[in-house]
Amino acid sequence: MPLTSIIITTHNRPQLLPRAVESAFASGANAEVIVVDDASTDETAAVCRELSGIKYVRVERNQRVAGARNLGVLVSNGEYLTFLDDDDLRVPGSLDAQVKRLAANPEAGLVYGQAVLVNQSGKATTRFYPNDCPEGDVFWQLLGRNFIPCGSAVFRRSCLDRVGLLDHVLAGIDDWDLWIRIAELYPIVALPEPVLHWRQSTPSSQQGTSQAAAIVSQSVRQFRQIWERLPRAANSPEIQQAWRRFSANMGAHLSTEVLRSLRHRRLAQATKNLFALVNLGPSVWFRLLRVNDAYSPL
Amino acid sequence: MPSASIIIPTRNRPQSLRRAVESARAAGNDVEIIVVDDASADETASVCRSLAGIKYIRLDRNQGTAGARNVGILASSGEFIAFLDDDDLRLPGSLDLQIAKLAATPDAGFVCGAMLLADQDYNLTGEISAPSPVSGDVFWQLLELDFPVMPLSVVIRKECFLRVGLLNRHLRGIDDWDILVRLAELFSVVTMNEPVGIYRQPEPNSGQGSSAQSEQLARAARHQLQLFDLPRVRALPKSERKAIRRRTLYRVADTLLLNAWRRLPEKEFAFAVANIATVMRLHPLRVMRPAVIRTIAKTISNGFNAGKVATTNSSSGATGLKTPIA
Repeated sequence: MPLTSIIITTHNRPQLLPRAVESAFASGANAEVIVVDDASTDETAAVCRELSGIKYVRVERNQRVAGARNLGVLVSNGEYLTFLDDDDLRVPGSLDAQVKRLAANPEAGLVYGQAVLVNQSGKATTRFYPNDCPEGDVFWQLLGRNFIPCGSAVFRRSCLDRVGLLDHVLAGIDDWDLWIRIAELYPIVALPEPVLHWRQSTPSSQQGTSQAAAIVSQSVRQFRQIWERLPRAANSPEIQQAWRRFSANMGAHLSTEVLRSLRHRRLAQATKNLFALVNLGPSVWFRLLRVNDAYSPL
Repeated sequence: MPSASIIIPTRNRPQSLRRAVESARAAGNDVEIIVVDDASADETASVCRSLAGIKYIRLDRNQGTAGARNVGILASSGEFIAFLDDDDLRLPGSLDLQIAKLAATPDAGFVCGAMLLADQDYNLTGEISAPSPVSGDVFWQLLELDFPVMPLSVVIRKECFLRVGLLNRHLRGIDDWDILVRLAELFSVVTMNEPVGIYRQPEPNSGQGSSAQSEQLARAARHQLQLFDLPRVRALPKSERKAIRRRTLYRVADTLLLNAWRRLPEKEFAFAVANIATVMRLHPLRVMRPAVIRTIAKTISNGFNAGKVATTNSSSGATGLKTPIA
């Protein structure tokens, strides 16, 4: 079994981190666990000293998630790499199963799996994401929506030599951006079973979906300025279709967020999301009705 | 494990690359040479295959200089990192010299040496660009663009990247200044007077090189506000932060004005106007000083022989950016 590096980035969440680390060790027989402490200001360092067998990297100046992940890659030795958030859990044995799948497909660059959605109190639900697991040349599908949960992806280190590192300024979509760049050049394989327990944010949890409007506008910018200019996309008629799928999914995501923020009585957030939705334009509003494969949070 | 890695990002310049690699090989005893081909569209790949003993990385998607350098760092196994541009040269033995200095100062983040300046045909101009003689904590000088240093003359301790992060690939042309500032915030710096590399100046007598430099300076002046977020700057009282900002803008403005003025004999008015416009945006009052107006008036009355008139505008122009100014 080739060595896999599990890169866990963390910032001020020492209470959750040990469980994530433990799950990482239990997921694979030959795994190296790297914890990148992104300038935490609490007892994270002390908690990490208690964790045996990890490689601990302390970053003095906050790099945000993508920058910290890049530093994890820098200290890693694995032939395969995977990221894990400090509040998520790997399913026992899942890494071995995925690595086996990737090793059996030497031309593939990345293998992903399903994530079990977990609510904020840590309770697993019966919902999986994604429901279908597209395989092969998924470049165009991936431009439409990110169906690869970050913690579920295991990719070859050699991919980075061809497509570059994560873009550190992207917050929340840095992983999507990397998957797209990998999928442009490599086939992707999937292990259609749960490999990850993925904790979902709520409108009040200050992360992920609470930033929906900002993440969507950033994704639109990235699509227009980077993704649709990738060599494979630039001269292809298919990019129009991809844009339609992409914007419809963004719209669907925003409309669920509007409802969710209303349910949580977060009016300011609901307004922000509504504005972002209006901003996407009338052609998107009409397509909303036909979206059926969008990611919808709990 | 080699003690040092020289990272050479390259893009569509196979003719100069070979020379850069040979110079890197002679720079140290135990050196790993990593050529990062940033999606070249020409025969760079085949030229690299013919170079023995290098680690060749082929990026299929263009990442820019900083992105390519980051990929080089990722592939490196040395304890020390040096960057070399594909059109510059390292001097024989220079890397060993710098590593010895850096290894002797365990709390230092990087060491910088001097550079010999050359023209486009690698002929030395006789000028030397030496770092300022200050060692130790040079954070404030670097932040104020008062510390001339270039990636060519620097060797960085690799583990320091883990404390401050990698290069910022969204900063075109000033990613090197940015990382050195961030390193100097936490680590001391060793300087030495011995030349370590040959810097090929971009067309010293055409406006092209200087206008690229002007753009970089303006970009650096704008980016400085982001660097003000660094904890050591934030800890300062507001008045001192303002003073730093003012000194930097003066320095950048003076350098831009001096460049504009030097180009006047060649009648490059577009360049001069562009520079003055940039200065107007950065610090309008700086253009309207009596000394500047006097100099311009004198130049015009002399029939644009400005270059031959001794300058009253005594700008040091010592910025940490490309094209060091005497």
